[in-house]
Amino acid sequence: MAATTSQGKTFSLFMVAITVAAAGLAYLSTGGGKAALVVGLIGVAASLAGFLKIKPLDDPTVLKLAGVACALGGWLIVLFGIHLSSSVSGRLTTTLIGLAVSLTGVVGLLPAAARKNAIWKA
Amino acid sequence: MRIGRIATFLCALAMLVGSAGIVTRVHAQSAEADLKSAIAGAPSTSTLANGDPGGSITGTVNDVPAADAKKGVTVGDIANQVGQNKIGINFTWTLITGFLVMFMQAGFAMVEAGLCRVKNANHTYMMNFFVYGCGLFAYWIIGFAIQMGGAAGNGNLGGLQPLNGEHMLNLFGTNWGIFGQTGMFLTGHTYDVGVMVIFLFQMVFMDTALTIVTGACAERWKFLTFSVSSVIMGAITYPLFANWAWGGGWLSQLGTVAGLGKGYCDFAGSGVVHAVGGLSALAVAMIVGPRIGKFNRDGSANVIIGHDISAVLIGCFILAFGWFGFNPGSTLGASAAGCLRIGSVAVNTMLAGCTGTFGAILYMWSLKGKPDASMAGNGLLAGLVAITAPSGFVNPTGSAIIGFVAGVLVCLSVAFVESTLKVDDPVGAISVHGTCGLWGVLSVGLFADGTSNYGGSWNGVTGSVTGLFYGDASQLVAQLIGITTLVGFVFSLSFVINWVLEIFLGHRVSIEAEVGGLDLPEMGQLGYPEFIFRPEPDVLVTAAQVAVA
Repeated sequence: MAATTSQGKTFSLFMVAITVAAAGLAYLSTGGGKAALVVGLIGVAASLAGFLKIKPLDDPTVLKLAGVACALGGWLIVLFGIHLSSSVSGRLTTTLIGLAVSLTGVVGLLPAAARKNAIWKA
Repeated sequence: MRIGRIATFLCALAMLVGSAGIVTRVHAQSAEADLKSAIAGAPSTSTLANGDPGGSITGTVNDVPAADAKKGVTVGDIANQVGQNKIGINFTWTLITGFLVMFMQAGFAMVEAGLCRVKNANHTYMMNFFVYGCGLFAYWIIGFAIQMGGAAGNGNLGGLQPLNGEHMLNLFGTNWGIFGQTGMFLTGHTYDVGVMVIFLFQMVFMDTALTIVTGACAERWKFLTFSVSSVIMGAITYPLFANWAWGGGWLSQLGTVAGLGKGYCDFAGSGVVHAVGGLSALAVAMIVGPRIGKFNRDGSANVIIGHDISAVLIGCFILAFGWFGFNPGSTLGASAAGCLRIGSVAVNTMLAGCTGTFGAILYMWSLKGKPDASMAGNGLLAGLVAITAPSGFVNPTGSAIIGFVAGVLVCLSVAFVESTLKVDDPVGAISVHGTCGLWGVLSVGLFADGTSNYGGSWNGVTGSVTGLFYGDASQLVAQLIGITTLVGFVFSLSFVINWVLEIFLGHRVSIEAEVGGLDLPEMGQLGYPEFIFRPEPDVLVTAAQVAVA
């Protein structure tokens, strides 16, 4: 799909909405700030709906979810590893295990998921 | 007897205090006498009217503003002027290096557009152009606050005290910094001279990370989705990790809280800027998919040659020039707190770029038969990316090794990304910035030589950053934790955000637009309207015909 006026309008709505939402966050302690945040978030939701109208849904993906979970899981192992052991070698071990798990997700599962519906296989 | 001793002691003490007072008074009188003498000896306006070709009489005590005109210039006035001069030098240094980094956008645009086909030139240049606006705007409204909102305490820039709102999370009895909270829209107390300087400097760094993604996804990325994705990256993804590393967040606390070296150390951003950009590029490139004709049905890859290698190499030189802002500028000053190391940082940057070029050229020449020009350019950039994190902590020998390894690594990584992962990266951005960015972060934990001294401590831990080869294994662990955070968290966050955008907007242009070139359907104008295009190679024409059918 080429660039269109509806894309431009929806993108404009998105930009205005996140600006209003950010202004609301900046002044969250005031009533106006809270209102701006709500209005901004509604605007963001409306722009997302607008985007969805331009481009319909498709694409499945359990493998993608598994890849992301694996990548995040490795990171969590490292975070817990900091508290699990106080020795340098212990932390090094948990960090390397976590890194390996994350890499499995990033360079193993996710590329495999991307290849499933690759355009060159068609 | 005892009373006599006490009396003698008290008399001695009184004499000591008295003499100290006299000495102080004498010093003060001497300083005032010197000041009066300097004022008396300063050139008159009539002398100055004759001109000062040698520059020996311009800039005297007469140029120091007096707080009280009746009293004239005092020692206090001069002390204040010295303080202002220090901050002024640091402001000027930080701003000028920031301007250099901003100019890198031009280099990125030339490299990326040059490595793409002529039919997509306008689109590729426009992505590099508009990413500056998208990133800057997002950073102003919220990104800067998330990154630097709790980063008060930098003495080089006057303290940055308005940035005092880091949100802390208590985990396992320890408070960890998660994100900053002050500085949205640069209003309120953050309307401050020092804050403006750090905003400009950090903003151009952030924009460098954003523009990396445009290269990896060139020639098939829908302009709308690129725009939204860039705004979100400038608002959330980049600032969050940058806060953890540079804004007082939990990675920088690994030294003080967990006893791991000096905490996660990333002098100028191999991790914060380049790995964040490179890993986000990998995430988006996986989602957007390869260009039509890049891979054959059996999975083998075709070479899609860019349209202007001269633009690529000139762009690389512009980037190398801008890097002198990137790394030496990251001292955030040229006066006090170890800032005189800027010369060492600049030389390390030069050397790593040089050996990176050698690494890539020698690898390609030895194994593939030609000193490939685009890989030579990528080798230069790989060396520069890798030295970005360690540039302030390593010696010239270390930087030469780091650069050379990066030059070879980028060639291996480009082949791995293309042949094994089957991810299409037209400019090699994932390898240059992602892989070599991670190598740069790791190399701090290996090569930091323990001689840097930025005010006696780093990340709140006394002493100099020291890597494994110089005796501190715990620094390597801190760096590895940073690497896992980049691979595990930053990549995942980018992937999920862009996956959501794929659902709502779709990342990819239509097959017809991609085959015909993105300049007309996406931009409404050809990049080179008067050029006659040569037909593409048969393999790409066939692939396009199959895709359209």
